[in-house]
Order: sequence, then structure tokens, then C-alpha cells
Amino acid sequence: MATDICRRVSSRPERSGRGRVWLRSCALLLLLLLPGFGTGGLVLTVDRLEHPALSFEGLSADFSSESRPSIRFERLRVGEQRWRRVELHCDAGGLSGARLWCRDGRLTAGARVLLPGRIDLQADLLGQHVALAIRLPDGGRIELGLNDARLEAQVEALALGHLAALLPGLQGWSPAGSLGGRLSWPLGEEAVFTGQLVDGAFTSADGLQAGEALAVDLSLSLNERAGGWHWRAELDWHNGAVYVDPVYVEARLGVSAEGTLSADRLDVVQAVLALEGVEQLALSASIDLAEGRLDRAAVSLVRADLATIGPRWLTPLLAPAAGERLWYAGWVSGGLRFEHGGVQALDAVFDQAGFSLQGADGGSGLAFGPVSGHLPWRQDATVHAALEIEGGRWQKLALGRFALNAEIRPQSLAIDRLRIPLLDGALVLDRLTLQRDDRGWRGRGEAVIEPVSMPLLTEALDLPMMSGVLAASMPGLTVSPGALELDGALVISVFDGYLQLTGLRVLEPFGVASHLHAEIEGRHLDLAQLTETFSFGSITGFIDIDVQGLELVRWRPVAFDARVASSPGNYRRRISQRAVQNIGSLGGVGAVAAIQRSLLGFFETFGYREISFSCVLRADVCTMSGIGAERPGGGFEIVRGGGVPALNVIGYNSRVDWRELLARLQRVIEDNASPEVR
Amino acid sequence: MKFRSLLGAALLSLSLSAAAQGNLEVDSPAIAALKRSMQQRHAQLAPLYASGAVGLAADGSVALRDASAVPLAQRAQASSLVAAENADRSALYREIARANGRPEWESEVRGTFAQRWAQRAQPGWWVQQGSSWVQK
Repeated sequence: MATDICRRVSSRPERSGRGRVWLRSCALLLLLLLPGFGTGGLVLTVDRLEHPALSFEGLSADFSSESRPSIRFERLRVGEQRWRRVELHCDAGGLSGARLWCRDGRLTAGARVLLPGRIDLQADLLGQHVALAIRLPDGGRIELGLNDARLEAQVEALALGHLAALLPGLQGWSPAGSLGGRLSWPLGEEAVFTGQLVDGAFTSADGLQAGEALAVDLSLSLNERAGGWHWRAELDWHNGAVYVDPVYVEARLGVSAEGTLSADRLDVVQAVLALEGVEQLALSASIDLAEGRLDRAAVSLVRADLATIGPRWLTPLLAPAAGERLWYAGWVSGGLRFEHGGVQALDAVFDQAGFSLQGADGGSGLAFGPVSGHLPWRQDATVHAALEIEGGRWQKLALGRFALNAEIRPQSLAIDRLRIPLLDGALVLDRLTLQRDDRGWRGRGEAVIEPVSMPLLTEALDLPMMSGVLAASMPGLTVSPGALELDGALVISVFDGYLQLTGLRVLEPFGVASHLHAEIEGRHLDLAQLTETFSFGSITGFIDIDVQGLELVRWRPVAFDARVASSPGNYRRRISQRAVQNIGSLGGVGAVAAIQRSLLGFFETFGYREISFSCVLRADVCTMSGIGAERPGGGFEIVRGGGVPALNVIGYNSRVDWRELLARLQRVIEDNASPEVR
Repeated sequence: MKFRSLLGAALLSLSLSAAAQGNLEVDSPAIAALKRSMQQRHAQLAPLYASGAVGLAADGSVALRDASAVPLAQRAQASSLVAAENADRSALYREIARANGRPEWESEVRGTFAQRWAQRAQPGWWVQQGSSWVQK
């Protein structure tokens, strides 16, 4: 009859918060209906019980005197953890008066030991006092006491490994560490748990998510509400480190959070995180516990110090290969919204931010800042980004203040016009569109360099001062993974002539193999200005230059087919004694042997008819040739004399080490530029 | 096996087996710079290959496959090392395709390199076959 009544009571579970009432009622009814409970035993079966936090089916408790006591559940659920054939076997126990007891009990689920160690249970069925103690073999202890509708629990040195045995969801994380704490719960009122995790550790199978030496203090309070619980938590992570690929973070972190918990859902209404370098970080989230799925999350970041969070969080996530070459300054605020299995919205607001990428070769690279403005992104909409950049630097060139306005789409961006001041000119990008695919960025646009004066440019680049201007019009700018190609011409008006660069391509611009390709055509360059600029003696006249297949690696030529020749036309053609000697010096001792040495001492300048030489650079060797075919007996003419007095300059060494040639050229320029002290 | 001989062996076998794709042993200043960079990094990667922390992926890249073989405090550095190596490898495949005058061959170069990296891996290193990892 007792069984029937309990079945009837439990098969109609009351809604929220009344679980304890019908459990207690059931126990009382049983007790009252037991014949002579002062001497007898107890046999109880309950078909089913449902509660948001707990349910079971097929409960059978046997505390009769004929057998060792046991309690068995065919199915048991606590929260979202479920077990089958859960059984508590007592080595000794029974019912003495109103006192039900079990000593040295073992908890199993089927053939598996659910919790190692022994369990002692005492229940005063009249006074409704229950005491439960779990003694674990490694010294851990859990004590639970229910007195006068107040549940008290104490946990001492509970190894988290034991929890993994109880909670299958933890088993893939190899949890370790020791948990201690105290729970106080006046039933029907607020439950409060305070505890500490010491020497905590966890790891995923591949080690990509792991923590070690973790020390965490936790305070958690729960209030039963309709359909679940309202909770508040304070967490202080004050020791240890965590790696969540690719981010490594060391303590410390403080979290203050609250939310709700039901059988199948955890809602974080608000969590405020105290993180080094961040003024405020808050988030909310909703997690489907049944599916183990994050349904919704929102993160809000206020004034984060980029110098602190940049290397720790941003570089590993956004540019891991850049490593320590990427530097940050200033502040960022922002927000993130996650929904439908992906990020739906991102917002970053920069305040006096600075970004600097050092060159892979150790050079000064690229820098922008201070940067202020709003950079948004939406999964399903086009949004507008507006940034004010107060300056920047590319290599040695300072960039002026400019504004960046862009239309940001889910997988692409478009910039109608971007004008970056460069000395007294500007680099202008028009109608630039970029799309992102699985290999990187692709796109196209137009580029113009508004005239930059050469005196300012050469000064900025630490080159000898040159007059003229540099300008470019490149209507075909193409971006692809690892390549930037410019279809058009960059023209430098210099030395009363011009240099025109076409076929410009920058390959692997941010890597160690960054290299630039171009074709150069130079026309009517005034040798007098050129030789004076580079302190190479004095040559009057004009030259044309053609460089095919120029390749620069780290701004140093590694390949080209170059030819320098006197420009056509009538003009004065003289070469100074010093220039002749310098040409001789470039060829090395004896390399230019056919200079009419006897004449050199007598005249300051000589007439010439033609200057021409070529250099094919491959593998650090410049293969040279001169005017026309090789002379009978060897050698090639570099300068063919003409007028009075005249001389020929003839080279004999047609294969010249390029690095040695550059070193000699450097020495010649330095020697000639140095003031002569007598 | 030193990195230079490993890369050399891979390139040699590539040039023989992939003649139809052009000369994969082709050299250029950019390729030389990438090889130097990868060679310098190999000293740091070799112990990670040996411990199984890093394996040779089927797409010609390297992957942090068992981070637990690396002390926790060094895992971010290992991850950064893997990212830098993969940036160089991607650039190397592009450069070899470019040096052959056929930039569209990049994926073929990558695939052929992936096979040869796997064949030339030392005993004990981990190699990805399909979606699973196998220790040589």
C-alpha cells in the first residue's frame, strides 16, 4: 500500500520547487505504514520521480533484516548526467527504530564502480535527519547532512578525477586537482557554495586545450526559480596557466557572473571579467546543455590596452606567423555577437591605436598610427568603416595623416578612394575592391602617385640629393595571395630626363622572400648632374638606360639585363680624368688596361664619342660587354674616344663579382666625396 | 637528417618525378631566401617532429597534432613556429610555380611536395594520411 501511495504521489510531480515536499511526504507515509517499525525492516519501491534537477526510475530500497541493505535505481539522472543500474551496497545496515543506516556502502553503476571509497548513511526517519559521508581512498571526503530542512555539505580534498568517473562529460578532459568547499542550503531558500580548486589541471586529447597548476576560488549561490535555478558566481583564478590554441594565458582572472540554470539550458545573463589590460570585459551566453552547444553569446570590451592584449590575444589569432614582429599601442573597445553557430557581428573602436609590422629582414617595415575610428563587420549586411590615421611609416618613408572609409561586406571590402600623403605628394588608391577566399585576399583597383619631389624623397631615403619629381599612374592594380601587381608606369623625372618603371610586381610582400620585379627605361639622363650627384668625377653628355627583368630582393638587385648607352643627338661629350680613373677602379687593378695612361696626367678632360656598356646579372655575377663586338685580342670598349684629346676605356674583365663591384663603387663614391686635406 | 639534405632529397626526387610539371628544383633568390629561412627554423622544429607534437600534413603544411608533447608554456611558441613554417612553405610552393613561369601550378607543386615530405620523413615522425596520422 505504501508503494501504491508513493507511486501515485511521484507520478504526478508538482512543478518546480516542490520536489522536497513530495519526497518527504512519501518517506513519512512509508514510515507510518510500516508495521512495528521499531523492530522490522524496510522494503521500498518507487516507479518514477521527475524533477528538473533530478529524476529516477525503478527505485528499490531493501533494508530488511534478511539481507545486506541496498538501494538501487534502474535509471538515475542528476542534471544532465544519466546512469543505469546505480546501486548502493551496504556492508552493514538496517533499520533500528526510526534510524535507518548503511555502513561501508559501495556505489556502482552496472559492473562499474561509480565512486571509489565507502559510504556511510544514517537517516532518522522521524526527526528527518540524514547524514551521509563518503570516504575516498586517497583521503578525500564528502559529508552531507540534512537537519531541519537545512542541507549542509562539506567537501575536503576531493580529487577531480573522481568527478570524471561520475560525470562522463569530463572524461575527455582528464581533470586533475583537489576540490574543497562548503555548501549551505536551507531548503527552499538560497543555496551557497564556497570552494577552492587547488593544483587543478585539464587537457584535451590533442593538448590544444589545457590548463596546469590552476588555483581557483569559487563562490556560488543558487535560488530555485520556476523551471530551474537562478545563480550568482564569483570566481578568482589566481594561479596557473591555460592554453587554448593558439592563446596562452597565465593567471590572473576574476569573474563575477549571474544567470539561470534549468535541466537543459545554462544562461549567463551577465558575466564581468577582470582581465589585465582591460578596463571592462562583459559577456552573456546561452548554452544548450542537452546538445552541448553554444546557442548565443555577446561580448563587450571597453578600453583594452593593445600593448597588453595585442601580443597575448590578437597576434596568435590574427597573425601567428608575424610573431614578435607585430607591435601594438593605444586602446580598442568593441563587441562581438555569436548566434546560429557563428559570429554574426563584430565591432572594433580604436582610440589612438598604433600598429607596427617590422620587416621580416629586420628592417623597419610598416607602421600606422595613431588610428582612431570604427571598424564594423556583419555576417549578413554591408557596413561602413571609418578610420582616421594620423600618420605612418613605410620603410624610411613617413606617411601623412589620412582617412580610411570602406564598405565592409561579409567576405569583401571596397574602398572608393584612399589618399595617403607621402612627403609633398600622395599615394592614391581608387576603386579598390578586395575579396577573401580560403587562400587569402584577391582584388583590384587603381593606383596613382601624385608628384613627389625628388629632393625630399632622396633625403628621406638617405640617398644623394637629386632634383626632379616622382609620379605614377597605374590603372591596373591587382592583388592576389602573395602578389601585388601594378599595370601602368611609375615615372621619375630626374637629371633632366626620366626613368620609367613598368611591369611592377611585389611578390610575397610580407615574407622573408619579399621581392620586386620591374622593367626600367631611362632616357636622356644628364651625365653631368648624375656624376656630380654621385661624386664620380665629371662626365658631360646624356645617357639612356634599359633594364629588363629587374628583380630586387630586400631592395638589393639580384637579377637584371641592363644596358647603358649614350643618348642620340648632338651635345658636348667630355669625360674628366677623375671619372676615367674611377671607371678603371671599378674594374679592379689591371682590369682597364688600355687607358692611355700617359695622357692622363696631362689633361683634365677628354673628348669621347660614345659610352656604352651592359651588365647581365645572374647569381651575383655581372657579365659585362661594351660597345660593339669584343675587340680582337680580347677586351671591350666602354668609352670610345673622340675629339682632342681623346682616349678609349677598355675593359678586360667581362665577369665581375656583383658584390665586389658594388663595394668598389661605394669606395669610389666615398673617396671622391671626402674632402681632400692637404 | 639535416634539413639541407632533407630538402635537397625532396627537391631531387621532385625534379625527377615531376618532370611533366616543370623543374621543381628550380632556384631563384626568393626560393633561396625561403630555403634559408626554413633551414634556420628546422633546428627548432626537429625536436617537435621527433616528439610527435608536430606532424607533416597531407596538404604540404605542418600541423600541431599533439600539443601535449610540448610544455604548456611553450605551446603558443610552437603554434607560432608552425604558422611561420606554413607561411614559408606556401610562399615556397608559389615561388617554385612562378619560377617555372606557371603560377597556376601552385596546388600541384604543393601536392607533390606533400608526398615527398612524407616519404622523406624520419622514422618516428608523424605523417598525415587522409584524415588520420601515422607514425613512420
